[in-house]
Amino acid sequence: MKRLTAYVLLTVLFLSGCGAQMSPDEAQESIQVIAMDTAMLITTYGERSSAAAYACEDVIRDLEAKLSRTVEDSEVSRLNAAGGGAVEIGWDAYSLLERAAAYSSSTGGAFDITVAPVVSAWGFTEDSFRVPSQAELDRLLPLVDSSQVSVTPSLDSNGDGPKATVTLGPGQAIDLGGLAKGYAADKIVGVLREHDVPRANINLGGNVLAYGGRPDGTPWRVAIQDPARVGEQDAFAGVLALTDSFAVTSGGYQRYFEQDGKTYHHIIDPATGYPADSGLTSVTVVAALGEGDGSGFPGTMCDAYSTALFIMGEERALAFWRDEMMWGEEGCPFDLVLVTEDGRVVVTEGLADRFTLEESSGYTLEVVSP
Amino acid sequence: MKLTTKQLTLCALLTAMALALSYLENLFPLSLAIPVPGVKLGLANIVTVFALYALGPGEALLILLARCFLGALFAGNMNALVFSLLGALSALGTMVLLSRRRALSIYGVSVGGAAAHNCGQIAAALLTLGSTAPLYYLPVLLAVSLLTGGLTGLASACLFRRLRHTDLMKG
Amino acid sequence: MRPSPKLHPTAWDALVVLCVAALAIALALFQWRGGTSQGLTAVVSVDGTEIDRVSLEDAAGEKTYQAGAYTLTVEYAAGSARVRTSNCPTQDCVHTGVVSRGGQSIVCLPARIVIRLEGGAPDPDAVDAVLG
Repeated sequence: MKRLTAYVLLTVLFLSGCGAQMSPDEAQESIQVIAMDTAMLITTYGERSSAAAYACEDVIRDLEAKLSRTVEDSEVSRLNAAGGGAVEIGWDAYSLLERAAAYSSSTGGAFDITVAPVVSAWGFTEDSFRVPSQAELDRLLPLVDSSQVSVTPSLDSNGDGPKATVTLGPGQAIDLGGLAKGYAADKIVGVLREHDVPRANINLGGNVLAYGGRPDGTPWRVAIQDPARVGEQDAFAGVLALTDSFAVTSGGYQRYFEQDGKTYHHIIDPATGYPADSGLTSVTVVAALGEGDGSGFPGTMCDAYSTALFIMGEERALAFWRDEMMWGEEGCPFDLVLVTEDGRVVVTEGLADRFTLEESSGYTLEVVSP
Repeated sequence: MKLTTKQLTLCALLTAMALALSYLENLFPLSLAIPVPGVKLGLANIVTVFALYALGPGEALLILLARCFLGALFAGNMNALVFSLLGALSALGTMVLLSRRRALSIYGVSVGGAAAHNCGQIAAALLTLGSTAPLYYLPVLLAVSLLTGGLTGLASACLFRRLRHTDLMKG
Repeated sequence: MRPSPKLHPTAWDALVVLCVAALAIALALFQWRGGTSQGLTAVVSVDGTEIDRVSLEDAAGEKTYQAGAYTLTVEYAAGSARVRTSNCPTQDCVHTGVVSRGGQSIVCLPARIVIRLEGGAPDPDAVDAVLG
């Protein structure tokens, strides 16, 4: 026994100075949220993963209640129902209107939240699809004009009070659906940082936030649906390896209806009032996480630009990308994956070594440089 | 089991080294190269191999138990104890059996030990998780154990060559 | 002093290596042939709340789930699940077809039902999220 005691003591002696510290097994939480007309999956890691995941859900529900066009007393619904009268809005709606104005001007009107009356005429708001007559579109198209939206910031806005007053032009309506999920993703970054989440994989229905990397240290693998093979499981155009990035895809295959043998999808070109027919079948915009200080809004930007660039088509989209990379004032560099009708996948240089083409898809890969 | 002072000191030194080695290998996570949970170099097995040959099965067991318990204690993670105990005990058991076959060199013994170590860890995972999912890792882990077992064999062989003529090895 | 071990590899060592390699290959083959259904579980949730959990290790049969005005018939087989019928307007859940790997899911938006597969064989090549 004496010997055993001596043995233990000696061992401890030899070890003095070696403090072993191993990381505890990472906790994980995965929740599903059905909101903003889509199924969302939130997977968080870390000691406070549960609290973080539910805080993300709160952010989403709160934004939906404020910004949805289909929630009756949301700020956006009240604004659309005000018939040109002034409506007070909170901080979130205010930031989004400011963003929307910036993206409208940077994309030359390809992104426009005032396209809402036209989208409604096609029945995409209520799921009662129809093809509007040209006369009806001609009557609605003049309402598509962001410059008639006037936002006046409140001077005495402190605390939780209204942050601005907004008026729309007569007959106008807005839809923030093309920004809201991206904006939610931007806000979620703050939630994850607050909860010391080391890694998370947030999929807000076509808006993915790849936060950190996988638990094994490799990047998150984010697949891009092959627009030509919708409905098939695992039919991908390719896979992106992403860490600390936002990625948003817009594609005509996401919502559409058929009438008289023709397919009409939900991405309406504000210039023509018709579903965009630009030769692209999907556009994915990828940007790095910002500093998380609320500036830049990279997630919101990805969401808006994926729609706008889908409408622009390949040539204009790539020209826009080159311009923004050179002169961009909106702050966040971004990269693109374009899938074309004629069987090509066009990837901008920054993603070249992060994108893997799915061989079985039959697409040919092109990499473009600025 | 009667220990001379020299054996006792050697045991304590080896235990400390085994603990230090298991700490060291956390600094070079093999799982970065092979993304399978539980993949480890198994550096502490060098000590077990060495103790088995230099001191004997009883002493090797003593060192191993102390290493596992103290390691779990330092890490403050008693869940990991089941894993390391089951792994290390099956490794030692296998190596004791294999080392009786004098035709086998130190390489064969440590490869067998490394493979048994992984089997033991998977068994622990099956027990604690109550799911058969961890079995999927076993083929990869076994393949990796050929490599890590060979490496620990090499390290132990070097150790023996260097120490064979010192008086450390004499009773 | 105890007898020193052999310090150079012998032919018998090769036998040990072969045994371990054979075991690894045999296990891999067995799992590959046996499919990937071990530990696979279908988790059914309505509006984010879990309502059912079905092990797909050797499950076979149908279950119906009701949410609001909608009824889904889900067919479970060993290692896979699919929505066989649904009275929802979009039928996206039926068109999704068969899911068979951990992480895949079937979503019925009108009924707010999500059927998600968990567990199964870990696959480093699996994707973590799908854009689209």
